[in-house]
Amino acid sequence: MKHLKIGITAIILMLSLTAAAFAGTVRIGLMAPITGAFASEGQDMRKILELMAEELNKAGGINGIQVELVVEDDGSTPRSAATAASRLVAAGVPAVIGTYGSAVTQGSQDIYDEAGIVQIATGSTAIRLTATGKKRFFRTCPRDDEQGRVAAETLRKQGFKKIAILHDNSAYAKGLADEAKQHIGKDAAVIFFDALTPGERDYSAILTKIKGAAPDVILFTGYYPEAGLLLRQMSGMKWSVPMVGGDATNNTDLVKIAGTEAAKGYRFISPPMPSDIDSPMAKIFLVAYTAKYGDMPNSIWSVMAADAFNVLVAAIKARGADSAAIADYLHTSLKDMYCLTGKISFDEKGDRIGDLYRLYEVDEQGKFVLQPR
Amino acid sequence: MEELFQQLTNGLAVGAIYALIALGYTMVYGMLRLINFAHGDLFTLGAYLGLTLLAAFALEGKMNGLAVGGALIVMSMGLVALVGYLLERIAYRPLRNSNRLTAVVSALGASIFFSNAIMLAYGARSQVYPGGILPTTAIAFFGVEIPLMRILMFIGAIALMLALYWFIHRTRIGSAIRAVAIDQGAAKLMGINVNSVISLVFLIGPGLGAAGGVMVGLYYGEIRYDMGFSFGLKAFTAAILGGIGNIPGAMLGGLLLGVIEALGAAYISIAWKDAIAFTVLILILIFRPTGLLGERVADKL
Repeated sequence: MKHLKIGITAIILMLSLTAAAFAGTVRIGLMAPITGAFASEGQDMRKILELMAEELNKAGGINGIQVELVVEDDGSTPRSAATAASRLVAAGVPAVIGTYGSAVTQGSQDIYDEAGIVQIATGSTAIRLTATGKKRFFRTCPRDDEQGRVAAETLRKQGFKKIAILHDNSAYAKGLADEAKQHIGKDAAVIFFDALTPGERDYSAILTKIKGAAPDVILFTGYYPEAGLLLRQMSGMKWSVPMVGGDATNNTDLVKIAGTEAAKGYRFISPPMPSDIDSPMAKIFLVAYTAKYGDMPNSIWSVMAADAFNVLVAAIKARGADSAAIADYLHTSLKDMYCLTGKISFDEKGDRIGDLYRLYEVDEQGKFVLQPR
Repeated sequence: MEELFQQLTNGLAVGAIYALIALGYTMVYGMLRLINFAHGDLFTLGAYLGLTLLAAFALEGKMNGLAVGGALIVMSMGLVALVGYLLERIAYRPLRNSNRLTAVVSALGASIFFSNAIMLAYGARSQVYPGGILPTTAIAFFGVEIPLMRILMFIGAIALMLALYWFIHRTRIGSAIRAVAIDQGAAKLMGINVNSVISLVFLIGPGLGAAGGVMVGLYYGEIRYDMGFSFGLKAFTAAILGGIGNIPGAMLGGLLLGVIEALGAAYISIAWKDAIAFTVLILILIFRPTGLLGERVADKL
């Protein structure tokens, strides 16, 4: 046991010495789901941040200092996230970007907080994450309660009266479904409220049951693979009822899974994609991204990671690579910075300020088209 | 009434896939008393290989959609059978005389290996079979429209299972398989080559799993590297429900599990669908600890 302790101390010493040797670079951590259930999101986050760091370093880095990205895999589970967080703490990064799942982020929050490291979550929309008063926690994504309100408003504006709400029992989808249900109000009724099991292939039993309730619209608050399968199987049943989804369905794979025919007319609310943001930064980014990877980013959440990187770079540029200084800058000095997903400012809890949601519809070519407000 | 009938067909269609995968679990268990955790991942591998073959031979549009589907199933079955054979040679045979737990750990390792290998080779994002290969016609039964493909999938799965049943019970090799399942030592004394019989089982089981994988890919469209887990779990449950080690039991268990799930979702609660299915499983195991058809313990397979 004693030898083990000495060994571990030696390793930690060596690690900190190596960190010191790299004094000419700034290290920024990325904790993302490279494996596990959210692996596609995490791998996209890594791709996008590698590109951002590469471009930044080509342009001379931050005040002449090169940026180095340190990537750790959170395995899409809170348990591996704790390990990943400890490794990033040991690597001595001043700030960490990540991660996607709310429960996964929660599993790592305390570790970063104790180490005094700035954490900027990219896809964790659960309300509770910013309710515990952590001083150095931020997120570039909006909160679930905001989305629930916008979802209910969208349904009301389109005049739907009988609403079926389907979630998938994940903390995110259930939370969004509950919020939306609360906001739907008196002139419409929720006639169906239940959950499917994500990861299955056959949802025909569920669709048959919902069809029996004869709703005007289905609000699905889960993720894109299930949304795609639902659309495909609805079209297989020759049943056409409008379906509206949340921001977890903002992924172009949805159309591939459903097929263009079945996906046509599907609507979802989401923060805007970079192609719909009218800022020079977004335009330059899209050119660089398509040049390197030959395609647009699949999902909005990897772009949220890119924006976390953008605000971090701005903070380090202004105040240097010190955790306390970065957190202070993000809280007090960063106001309406025009990034890839719109303007970014943070409130005192670290939540992103401003209304962010837009309505999208899938057109007959399977493209996501921003709807006028 | 219409809804009930619709839900029954929904359940039977899913159940047929469960049954097809359950056969792989049950055959291996009957033979080696080993739960082959990698079986669900071989099912996934079948789905992915089907997609690769479809692209490699550019089969789409060259011939009738059903012929394409059939060709994919046969080719993928062959390849995955080979993988199953190698799996047994590399991961299970060297451990055959060691502690049973060792083999189970090896099976778990193989499962993790396959699902990660598939993820590394094909990526973590969902892959999609191109749409429009299969006809989308539906047939009306008692006022309910049932997609033709569902019926064909069901018939295909049942036909494969019946063929297997016939093979095990009516052929000489089948007798050898049953003999090895009952008593390896005695079978060896009777001049049966136990190793090749076990290899054969590892060709058949994964092959049937691959057939299920391609069917799922063709019909549902979306496949993912980790889908073997949920299908594998359900199929394993089906095998236990019917009586593990028993081939008709696996078929019955699969179909029953599918129907229980569909009816549970329809008349009780969708969210509690799995809980209902597992409650039924536990009740059945309380009253019949060896599963529905598990009484012929001495006569496995």
